[in-house]
Amino acid sequence: MSQNGDKLQIIAFCCHYCAYAAADLAGGMRLKYPPSIKVIELPCSGKINPVQVLKAFEQGADGVMVAG
Amino acid sequence: MIVAEQKPLNEIKTMIADAERVLLVGCGTCVTVCFAGGTKEVDLLATSLRMSTKLDGNGKVVDEFTVQRQCEWEYNEPLKEKLDDYDLVVSLGCGVGVQTLNEQFPQKQFVPGLNTAFMGLPTEQGVWEERCAACGNCILDKTGGICPIARCAKQLLNGPCGGSQNGVCEIESDVPCAWQLIWERANDLGQIDRLMELQPAKDWRTSRDGGPRKIVREDLRLVAHEEE
Amino acid sequence: MEGDCHYLEGNLNARRRVEYVSKLLEEIGLEGQRVRMINMSSAMGAQFAQAATDMTATIKEIGPNPLREM
Repeated sequence: MSQNGDKLQIIAFCCHYCAYAAADLAGGMRLKYPPSIKVIELPCSGKINPVQVLKAFEQGADGVMVAG
Repeated sequence: MIVAEQKPLNEIKTMIADAERVLLVGCGTCVTVCFAGGTKEVDLLATSLRMSTKLDGNGKVVDEFTVQRQCEWEYNEPLKEKLDDYDLVVSLGCGVGVQTLNEQFPQKQFVPGLNTAFMGLPTEQGVWEERCAACGNCILDKTGGICPIARCAKQLLNGPCGGSQNGVCEIESDVPCAWQLIWERANDLGQIDRLMELQPAKDWRTSRDGGPRKIVREDLRLVAHEEE
Repeated sequence: MEGDCHYLEGNLNARRRVEYVSKLLEEIGLEGQRVRMINMSSAMGAQFAQAATDMTATIKEIGPNPLREM
């Protein structure tokens, strides 16, 4: 896992009702996924605003996934 | 409202090419409600420009400020003290806003970040349609509240042309024939007989034909101005 | 999942905005693939881990964000 890009920063904007719960479940199931993923919970993936995604890149994020 | 849309990023980048410090000025009125030049759009454009110029290897300072209404002197006053810090200002107001700023602060250059498109309304979220062409001589009383000047491609005054097919204008399949709409509306109002009255050729002197237009209301003017 | 969103159409609106940002990134000079929309239900823990792994692999391939070093 460590050679799978753990220095990368990937922001995952997750919907409270599905993707965030799925991420939680992944943790509960002891499933491994790369430490590059930084989860940010949103009340709904539809809350995402283009400027938030752009600011993530401006501040150095390597990737952004929006999950919901 | 006035409807506008943002110019392509590359065009704006060309305009600011020679400046090191750039201020983006948004407007809180028409262009805010049409999502072209409000606080949010200023933020998005400023972020885009900062990122893009940095990637090009000549990162610029791009700051943000939004006034309530660029087309009135008073609302632009708070800008005055900021201007010295910048080489160039990009206005995200309509064409009136850009010109107001240039007139008000002649020591600084203001360039347009938007293309001002038309006067219209949002017919659904994300869709705007033209409704008024500011011809200066309203005839909506004669046409059931539907403007053939703004909405008929030929600006006809006495019914549709041969390009009207099944209620659709020949210019585009999603453009309704204004005269079809006018006829249906007159029918609903029981006023079809009124459409039979011939309209003479329009007097375009109240429109762009007479050069820039001006309205003076003596009852509203202040004494100080009259003495000038 | 699409069509089964808690807020009915929230994730469809999100998808449109993600597509918009993807195009904007290209205009700015970054790769459009750096941003991605993913759908999943609350029961899909394994799929989340997989999506996270896939995304990391994609980004690793594209390389780090050049803005971070500047």
